[in-house]
Amino acid sequence: MLQLIDLKKRFGDVVALDGAGFTVDRGRILGFLGPNGAGKTTAMRVVFGLVNPDSGSVRWNGGAVDAADRLSFGYMPEERGLYPKMKVRDQLVHFSRLSGLSKADAQNAVDRWLATLGLSDRGGSKLEDLSHGNQQRVQLAAALAPDPELLILDEPFAGLDPIGVESLAGTLRGLASEGVTIVFSSHQLDLVEDVCEDVAIINEGRVVLSGSLDDIKNESSKRRLTIDVDGEPWVPRAAGTTVIDGHGRSHSIVDGDAPIADLLAEANAAGTVSRFMFEPPRLTDLFREAVGS
Amino acid sequence: MSPWKQVALLAKREFKERATSKPFLITMSILVLLILAVGPAVNLLVSDETEATQIGLVGEEPTSIEPALNAQAAVFEIDIELIRYPDRAAAETALTEGDVAVVLADGSEIVFHTDVSSRLSALVGGALNTAVKADGLADLGLSDDEIAVALAPVPITVITIEEEDVEEDAKRAAAFVGTLALYISILMFGQFVAMGTVEEKQNRVVEVILSRVRPWQILVGKVVGIGLLGLLQLALLAGAAYLSAQMADIADVDLASIGLPIIAAMFFWFVLGYSFYAFLYAAVGSTVSRQEDLQGAMMMPIILIVPGYLLALVAAENPDGLAPTIGSMLPPWAPFVMPVRIASGVAQPWEILVAVVGTAAAAAALVWIGSRVYSGALLRTGGKVKLLEAWRAASE
Repeated sequence: MLQLIDLKKRFGDVVALDGAGFTVDRGRILGFLGPNGAGKTTAMRVVFGLVNPDSGSVRWNGGAVDAADRLSFGYMPEERGLYPKMKVRDQLVHFSRLSGLSKADAQNAVDRWLATLGLSDRGGSKLEDLSHGNQQRVQLAAALAPDPELLILDEPFAGLDPIGVESLAGTLRGLASEGVTIVFSSHQLDLVEDVCEDVAIINEGRVVLSGSLDDIKNESSKRRLTIDVDGEPWVPRAAGTTVIDGHGRSHSIVDGDAPIADLLAEANAAGTVSRFMFEPPRLTDLFREAVGS
Repeated sequence: MSPWKQVALLAKREFKERATSKPFLITMSILVLLILAVGPAVNLLVSDETEATQIGLVGEEPTSIEPALNAQAAVFEIDIELIRYPDRAAAETALTEGDVAVVLADGSEIVFHTDVSSRLSALVGGALNTAVKADGLADLGLSDDEIAVALAPVPITVITIEEEDVEEDAKRAAAFVGTLALYISILMFGQFVAMGTVEEKQNRVVEVILSRVRPWQILVGKVVGIGLLGLLQLALLAGAAYLSAQMADIADVDLASIGLPIIAAMFFWFVLGYSFYAFLYAAVGSTVSRQEDLQGAMMMPIILIVPGYLLALVAAENPDGLAPTIGSMLPPWAPFVMPVRIASGVAQPWEILVAVVGTAAAAAALVWIGSRVYSGALLRTGGKVKLLEAWRAASE
């Protein structure tokens, strides 16, 4: 179990973390969300001791994180980077050995992950000779090869094609089912909704919403109402409704207290109602509400 | 896993990746071959002088001139070869073209081309004198044996009351070459440390490493790995120089045995000097984010190193001067100046002690200062971090 407790950090006049905290249980995947500059990367760096918080703490399985714990963590930083001129397999073995694996274990783990990521034939190539997508996979392998108990990935899906996204999502689910605790940040909310069981949303250095995705959705007073109409373009006008997306013939409204009967009447007046759907809010809706935009 | 095991892994990577890189292998091969070629090349240049000296003979001459010349040549320790010419013109042509060094004409004239060699002049003159006397004694009816006894050259020993120390100059020259190699090595491997640091910052791999180890471990691993590469390069170059010196056959000077202590000293001072400068280079390297900005940042260590080298040049000429004496004891310069003063035999034991202890202490202080700046600046990208800012950031 990973706990970030009341983390505070200032860089000069800039407040990066202002009491941020969340908890992830073993074998769960947590999506760490927030607008740019909200403090995601700083919080992740604190876990690895790359940034010392002014106050607050990080605990792993109930105890303060020490150097030995960190060696059982895998990290993929937002700023990608490996040695461009070093052979792929050599550098992955190097990083795995730095994480404490013996030479033989490191080689086995690296070969296993290269095979899993479809890079077996590129182990002897220099990193710079690989395509962008493959370099990204090597970067992931650097975090995965030491077989970490905790995996922290900063924007792991950025830059991947849809097939790469699907395969990485599958890999993460597989690892979680084996008991690996995973935290990753992303701006692709649909993807997070698809992959994660837990989310933490950070804004201006504070975690404004966190917990299991199901609980958060159920506890929210918001409901998403989607109305599609075949006919003339129309605009919902019932008192107190705000349209969050849509166009002339399709509208989405997020509001638990939306006047459903009035809206249905308006829609019927505009044409034939082809869809009238009332459902829990999407992660996007919760995110917008949480970060106040 | 112990922190030092990680440092060893980091050092091993630095060493292996660089030692097996093409630029290093090519540069080293060329340098080693060049140095190996110097010895035989010296022999080629020097060998002309050791060939037999050609002496021309023309016209009438004393009957026993040949044995007399050979006897004189033996006294002078010169190999000679005699060539007879039919007439004066042919002999002078040979002289002009350099076929002979000197011509004895008509048993009475010693002819040179432009410069008179007093040595050859004495040799031929002496021989002529002996030959004429031998002929006279033969005319008086003495047997060849009697003549030989009468004219046997007096064994004369030539001595100097103070020995010319041919090794003194050779030692000083070797110390100078050693200092040059030291200067180049420290500059080169110090820059490797700075460049390696920036490289890791620029391609962002530093964050991947820092998630596993502390900044000081990266720093020490880098300095040790690159330092070992420096020692390997020095060993290869010194080995080549030693072989080359053994192949060179210069009379009276045993280059190889002069070289050995110089080579040993070079290793010692490299370790001290490199330790001092490498941590400085790492610290300034960590303050910039791109290779393009590195040149400016590297001015600081270079400004420190260059006076050391200049002082070493001064010390080679005047090892007892005030500036070299003081410079040889101050940490930034001791590694360059002190070896030259030691080779000149003027360095006092206490001065050497001050130099060694002072430099070692300064290097240790730089490990600490360098580590702190390095830690503070390592994750700051974009633009240049001021040294003081990095120092403060380390506590954040």
